[in-house]
Amino acid sequence: MAVDKSYIGRTTSRSRVTIERGPVANFARAVKDESPVYRDPGAAKSAGFARIPAPPTFGFVAAFWGSFPEQQPPPEAGMANPFVEVIGALARKGGIVLHGEQEFVYHRPILVGDMLRGEGKVVDLYEKESKGKTMTFVVTETVYRDEKTLEPVLTMRFNLVHRSA
Amino acid sequence: MTEQKIRFADLVEGETAPPITMVKEVGRMDWVAYAGASGDFNPMHTDESAAKKAGLPSPFGHGMFTAGVLATSLTDRFGIGRLRRYKVRFVRQVWPGEAMIAVQKVVKKYVKDGENLVDLECNIVNQKGELTVSGEATAAVEA
Repeated sequence: MAVDKSYIGRTTSRSRVTIERGPVANFARAVKDESPVYRDPGAAKSAGFARIPAPPTFGFVAAFWGSFPEQQPPPEAGMANPFVEVIGALARKGGIVLHGEQEFVYHRPILVGDMLRGEGKVVDLYEKESKGKTMTFVVTETVYRDEKTLEPVLTMRFNLVHRSA
Repeated sequence: MTEQKIRFADLVEGETAPPITMVKEVGRMDWVAYAGASGDFNPMHTDESAAKKAGLPSPFGHGMFTAGVLATSLTDRFGIGRLRRYKVRFVRQVWPGEAMIAVQKVVKKYVKDGENLVDLECNIVNQKGELTVSGEATAAVEA
């Protein structure tokens, strides 16, 4: 069965994400990090940060907290949504959807007070047969840039898998 | 850079650090807290009856929760703000009552563009030694 490779290279999202103190402290606690650096601006400064930094996997959840509706760029024609269109369509026929892999490349730490511009795009879409089941993989890459300088802050690669029933 | 906790000279290629129990017995409330903190409200992680209806014995942990805890073991050892790269693969579910144990191994030490870097294999295993999340990381470490 073929997958639609024309998704590759298409933009999936554009966003503006605000990083705030409460979500960062709450997230640090949830991932069992008790460091005062994530909670206290004085501790963050003593550790060498201009402002409170975010934990390493916070970038994955930053948009949940910080995509305020009135700040988002207008929706664009032609953006692709392979999660709904490919994986969602497969899931409706059965099987299971799994988060396969996740990668973070850090250009600088995310800091409370950052406004980040995000852009997601599809970087790969492929199929594999494994033990009689068809696995369909969608890989997207999201880059967050500092809105003021447009310098990259974080690159994330998200690998979502559908496994047929 | 910040918060130096370990020296480049102290890292040995091929050496596995003593395992660290990050969570002694993980439970549903840990996943409730992570759901709230992350926005991942998939009922498989927090809703007993939804998990059972899906044929599972109970809720199980978010893969990204385990990845977050593994990352905590990295910042605990190397300091906050020193990771250059972190990648995880989700291998096996984490069930209620399991221990979450971080195991780190130094794969390679090298200098690149004037920066001391270390590549690591890092994993979370449960109390039976079963691999739940498999990871790789690169950290910058001062001399």
